[in-house]
Amino acid sequence: MDIDPARRPLSDSGALWFAISAVGSVGGGWLAQQAASSATVVSGQATSGDWTKLLAGLASILVAGFAAWRLARAGAYSWLLPLAAANLVLLQPGRAGDARTWRLEWSVMGLVWTLAAVLVFARLLRRSDELERRLHLEGAFYGLAFGLVASVVYALFENRLPELRGQWVAVALLLSWWVGYLVTARRYRWQS
Amino acid sequence: MKNRLRVLRAERDWSQAELAGQLGVSRQTVNAIEKERYDPSLPLAFAIARVFGRTIEDIFSPDDEVPPGSEEPGIDLTSRK
Repeated sequence: MDIDPARRPLSDSGALWFAISAVGSVGGGWLAQQAASSATVVSGQATSGDWTKLLAGLASILVAGFAAWRLARAGAYSWLLPLAAANLVLLQPGRAGDARTWRLEWSVMGLVWTLAAVLVFARLLRRSDELERRLHLEGAFYGLAFGLVASVVYALFENRLPELRGQWVAVALLLSWWVGYLVTARRYRWQS
Repeated sequence: MKNRLRVLRAERDWSQAELAGQLGVSRQTVNAIEKERYDPSLPLAFAIARVFGRTIEDIFSPDDEVPPGSEEPGIDLTSRK
């Protein structure tokens, strides 16, 4: 039986390319970080193993970029939100760990990546049709509303809760935007 | 907002994707309009009217408007015994 694609909130192809991109970027970033940490802190000089890890990491990041490009080409813009959240977790400056000489570069790379993602997403939204824009507008409102409520709740218990990190806020906003988008899309498109 | 999009599209034997292509929107948008879950913007409503060679009023009508030829709304108190 042929299933109407409009009734599937998470399209199979979108999920597949999202998974490839998320695993590729997180895995590639981890490999590259391992190689950099090992070369700069432990030995001070890159070994062949470090180079292998670095190249594998870069190749994995390239595959992740290709998968993200496929998502954008397919118009599956909503999948770019959790993808951006995953990459924000990956690129947070604290993940530079002991490789302190890489900390600044890591942070700058995260900032550049975030700004590029914002610009690309804004461009994609301008190209999308009016219903898609409306879904994202309402989804972003839910994300912002969640962020406001969560901020106040955090303030109430901040003496008992761990220190808040900027990346956590950004990731929470992105994911709540995405969830808001899915809920809104269900209301407009897939509600029976 | 009620609309006759599905009927008009069926008369021309167009698929949702074909209509969406002519309107420059996604097929999901056409689907949402047909199922009356989404009211199109004025520019899109004009585009739909142009594609079908009709006026906007021929295609769209408010929820509380009675379609031509149907009975008048309201309760007929005189019929109660």
